[in-house]
Amino acid sequence: MIARPDETRTKRIVIGCIAVAILGPASYGFFEKLYLFILAVKKDQLAGFTIVPIANYLIVTAGMVCLLLWATRHGMFRNIEKPKYDMLEREAELDALDEQTRKNEP
Amino acid sequence: MTALNVSMSPPASSAVRPVDGLVDRKLALWHLVASLVFLGVALLAGFSFSLQFLQKYPFPGIELLSPGRWRLVHTNGVAYGFLANAFLGCLYWAVPRLTGQPVYSRALSWFIFWAWQAIVGVTAVGLILGHAQALEWGETPTYVDPVAFLGLILVAVNFLTPIFRAKGPMYVTLWYFIAAFVWTPLVYAMGNFLAQYLVGGAAGGAIGGLFIHDLVGLFVTPLGWGLMYYFVPIILKKPMWSHGLSLVGFWGLAFFYPLTGIHHFLYSPIPLFLQHGAVITTIAIEFVVTTVIINFFGTLAGRGDALRTSLPIRWFYTGMVFYFTTCLQCSFQTTLTFQRLIHFTDWVVGHAHLVMFGVFGFWLLGSILYLFPRLIGAKAYYSDALNSWHYWLSALGTLIMFTDLLVAGVVQGNLWRNLAPWEESLIASMPFWLIRSVSGTMIIVGNFMFFWNLYKTWQMTVASRQTQPAMPGTSPMPA
Repeated sequence: MIARPDETRTKRIVIGCIAVAILGPASYGFFEKLYLFILAVKKDQLAGFTIVPIANYLIVTAGMVCLLLWATRHGMFRNIEKPKYDMLEREAELDALDEQTRKNEP
Repeated sequence: MTALNVSMSPPASSAVRPVDGLVDRKLALWHLVASLVFLGVALLAGFSFSLQFLQKYPFPGIELLSPGRWRLVHTNGVAYGFLANAFLGCLYWAVPRLTGQPVYSRALSWFIFWAWQAIVGVTAVGLILGHAQALEWGETPTYVDPVAFLGLILVAVNFLTPIFRAKGPMYVTLWYFIAAFVWTPLVYAMGNFLAQYLVGGAAGGAIGGLFIHDLVGLFVTPLGWGLMYYFVPIILKKPMWSHGLSLVGFWGLAFFYPLTGIHHFLYSPIPLFLQHGAVITTIAIEFVVTTVIINFFGTLAGRGDALRTSLPIRWFYTGMVFYFTTCLQCSFQTTLTFQRLIHFTDWVVGHAHLVMFGVFGFWLLGSILYLFPRLIGAKAYYSDALNSWHYWLSALGTLIMFTDLLVAGVVQGNLWRNLAPWEESLIASMPFWLIRSVSGTMIIVGNFMFFWNLYKTWQMTVASRQTQPAMPGTSPMPA
């Protein structure tokens, strides 16, 4: 079994700060540009052609938003560190079984 | 095929079936071998094209061997022949082991294998015959596009089925894979159909820009990082530093990457606010990349000796350093100030080589190095020295090529900016182009050493099986 130490408070704070530092400015930049785009489309008909690349982006992003909501609803982010331990344990068990199978070959 | 008795959340139970029922090793091996065959062809095509710049092209005046067409064989061979095949080979190993479920259908998997080789082969022939589509990195002839698109959908069905059958919180690798399987067909359709048939002019140009960059960001990047999140912990036998941070990296990529491609067309008729948007999202991506790099180096902390003792780990982390370099470079070079100097110069060529070979090529070569003995049941490689030479020649060759082209780009940009005659910029570029060909030779020699080593390892394993048929207790080569 792999040791599963509790995440320290400091580490959680560091990760939280990094997440806010990235997502905050990036989200601001993104939504500001989206707002400018809507204004441009309203004011200037020529800007309408940019709807194609933006629509492409929004279609992809809408899918990701749905996936994010689905994942949250299905508890994918509860006990967020657990999957990394499960993965390693499963891998170790598969390696052991693989080894056993080879030993048992006639 | 029946699923394994393992769910996503609890560790594998004692009822788990032997791994051979889970992973189709032969299929994975064939994909990896196909990837290396295409890599060999692509490297030679790239090298012969580089000789054109030195006025030493070996096949002058032959239309079918014209350098412009073979450049396309080089780029498409790397993208669809080498990278796509190598990713598929690694996926056939990683997805069933991560989910505890076999892929959707073994028959479908073999069909995909042969169909994909046919697609790449027909593409290469089409390009040589001059049927290229006028879209950078989307030169696959128009008659290949619908088949390739269908192939990508079949790949998605084959791999998404086991992922969605698994239960419980998903490991970050699977998040990246889901995204790649959804994004890749969308990106392919956007570039090859929208820009070709529906959207023209500047909007078509914007779509082309999105396609070029999204092919890197939404096809190879999620698959590449997904594989790193899988291979690095299992080789180090240590969990990732933070799974939470890895998810921040994934969702950051998901939301910020898709709009960055327009930065390929700065100073174009595309509205400036859209160009600015692309610059901002590109810089945002650099922050996301930083979290990923922090996470991987946090994972390496206390296991730094692995860089010396494990060659796959060395390939992976060299690729990560190169990745950080390219992304940092990207966040500067997409600014309008930088573009004034470097646009249309060899700077961009250097950047592209570092991304495609120095990062994703390195990750996949490291993965192949790890998987090959496991797939053929070899005890060890024929020669560790050849593997070491492969790494050093490739790493130094890539570094030299990147630096050389970077400097060449600055020289060219300054000459053009100062309105020097075009011929003068060609004369100034010649020494850089010579160094590019020499560094390319280093990469080619290193990789052919690797191919030879793989062949001899396979030969050695077959011979050892003949003298000792069942090879009882054979343990795969340690990482």
